[in-house]
Amino acid sequence: MAARIRRSLLLALVCVLATLSARAVAQPVTVTDVAGRTVTLAQPAQRILLAEGRQITALALLHPDPVSLLAGWLGDFRRNDSESYALYRARFPAIDAVPVIGVGNDGSFAVEQAIAIKPDVAVLGVSFAPGGRSNDVARQLEAAGIPVVFTDFFVNPFDNTIPSLRLLAQVIGRDAQADAYIAFYRAHMQRISDRLAGVKTRPTILFETHAGVSDCCHAPGAGNIGRFITFAGGDSISAQISKGPTAQLGLEYVLTRDPEVYVGTGGAHLKATGGLVIGPGFDRATILARLAAVVARPGFAELKAVRDKRVHGLFHNIMATPLNLLATEALARWLHPEAMKDVDPDATMAEINARFLAVPMQGIYWIDLK
Amino acid sequence: MTASPGPAASAAIAKAYGRVVRRRAVLLAVLGLIAICAFMLDLGTGPSNLGWREVLRGLFDAGALNGAQSAILWEVRLPQALLALLVGLALATAGAEMQTILGNPLASPFTLGVSSASSFGAALAIVLGIGIPGVPQNWIVSANAFVFAFIAVIVLQSVVRLRGSGTDILVLCGIALFFTFNALVALTQFLASQQALQQLVFWIMGSLSRASMDKVRLLAVVVVIALPFAQRAAWPMMALRLGEDRARSLGIHVVRLRFMALLRISILTATAMAFVGTIGFVGLAGPHIARLLIGEDHRFFLPASALTGAIIMSLASVASKSIVPGVLIPIGIVTALIGLPVFFSLIFRRQGDA
Repeated sequence: MAARIRRSLLLALVCVLATLSARAVAQPVTVTDVAGRTVTLAQPAQRILLAEGRQITALALLHPDPVSLLAGWLGDFRRNDSESYALYRARFPAIDAVPVIGVGNDGSFAVEQAIAIKPDVAVLGVSFAPGGRSNDVARQLEAAGIPVVFTDFFVNPFDNTIPSLRLLAQVIGRDAQADAYIAFYRAHMQRISDRLAGVKTRPTILFETHAGVSDCCHAPGAGNIGRFITFAGGDSISAQISKGPTAQLGLEYVLTRDPEVYVGTGGAHLKATGGLVIGPGFDRATILARLAAVVARPGFAELKAVRDKRVHGLFHNIMATPLNLLATEALARWLHPEAMKDVDPDATMAEINARFLAVPMQGIYWIDLK
Repeated sequence: MTASPGPAASAAIAKAYGRVVRRRAVLLAVLGLIAICAFMLDLGTGPSNLGWREVLRGLFDAGALNGAQSAILWEVRLPQALLALLVGLALATAGAEMQTILGNPLASPFTLGVSSASSFGAALAIVLGIGIPGVPQNWIVSANAFVFAFIAVIVLQSVVRLRGSGTDILVLCGIALFFTFNALVALTQFLASQQALQQLVFWIMGSLSRASMDKVRLLAVVVVIALPFAQRAAWPMMALRLGEDRARSLGIHVVRLRFMALLRISILTATAMAFVGTIGFVGLAGPHIARLLIGEDHRFFLPASALTGAIIMSLASVASKSIVPGVLIPIGIVTALIGLPVFFSLIFRRQGDA
């Protein structure tokens, strides 16, 4: 009898311990997303639905095998950044098998398919948030019992990059990795602020997005990327034209403002239409030839930036990722070469590759046209 | 009423006719003058403080302007102003001819799917990177737009060939093209990345900021070749306006006339749209305004349409530069907004007369 009691007690103890330890592994996670909503997950997510495929870069900063976290995603990363995708595929061939729930922009999001793959959580950009263009998607996913969190690396990356990265880390239970990268990010941004402290000048700059394909010139307004330009000590000539995310400038306005520095962004997505290509997959000669063609467009030869040889190319797709730190460093260096002598984006990239990224960056992400 | 007028009455009619012709010639000259003034105004307008005095001096004296000013004049203002003028001439002439050969006041390159086709060509290049092999990358969007606009008109032409004279079928076929190509454009938009989508939307809205002297030269050649041919066809076109049977009884080969007119229309429209995107309103409103001003006589109606188109485009260009300083508002938007008030006032005035 006593033996039986002892055995049952032992069993009960084992049960309690097992439950406790299971609970320790599967702690519920409560997060506040960038739309200000509080979301609770039963446990850290193992299978994520990623509505902005390019956020794989953020996951790669947090997790040694980011592809294993994907339950499904939109096809934007593969289509618009084919060369970076190739880097990921070389490292993780399984990336080709990740279900694609939409071919391109957020309008192509196939809700039914997304529900069918039963992700632990859906990570959506703010265009899916209440008031956004595609807000029905979030409602439908939640109705199907799939928790939804909103991140933002795109609309207001200057303010939302760090909160969004932290949020992603909480969702997958990798807080420590996020803390380390955020500390690194902040320290490097702080270094730029420190170097600028004694600098009086703010050189004028034309920052042309997707350079060479659309009519001159598509540029950021005061918001969005414009915030990084201001932070890096530049006076963006397009900031006065628009307070919003983007501005469409006329060539005459550009010639009249006569910027001291020119930066064009580009990438593999501009290859077919003759725009600036840069980033992984392109060699120096190709990039320089395209950059030279961009500033050989009618009227550009007269710009001070072109005459003074302060013409630079930047890989566009890092702007909407936590790697925008690198773009900020490159910008600061171009704007204030003297003050930023010790700011070296190549060294920073090497350190990020070594310490954080599951798939290291490879290739030329910024360049000077000499 | 006598069966035939006497010599005195004939003389009176001839005199009245002479008066009408003179009045129309004067109107034409006035339109020409307005077009030149609008062009000059366009040249003298821009976000920099380069006024038309400096512009005039810069045009004739290369040393009068500094580097940036001279770039503004020769690389921005002049190509854009010339392109505006030429696009107006081309699209309004195309619209005028189309309205006549189809006997339909709603016909224009825009309503018959030609512009949708050129949008689709551009979309293929911008969104999917599909172009014609061998075309330099800077030209692939223009080349695609041209080819697809041309394809659309060739489809319309084969309808003329197969079905002979039925204008109703031609119009219906045009509308079918319009919906087909619009659906295809929507499909590419659905597939597009945000960046490509934005670029495509800007392209479709139409803009003069893609002007360059190369494009001006090309379009000028097309206009200079096509317009005299259109003018030469003015008499038979006039007869066609009186009715197809009447035209045939006058010995006019109607099918051939339509075919040649469609050929001119296709080349004019396709070239203009390839360079500036789809600007629909000029092709529709230019001819209507001209008709309200000058009447149906094609010898005057055609040049009047062309000049009206040029005036609309030049003024729209001025407005697109002036509304928000530093920003070039897509000219397709402005054209409709500038042209509509004129259009409506003429329609209402005419109804008031009747």
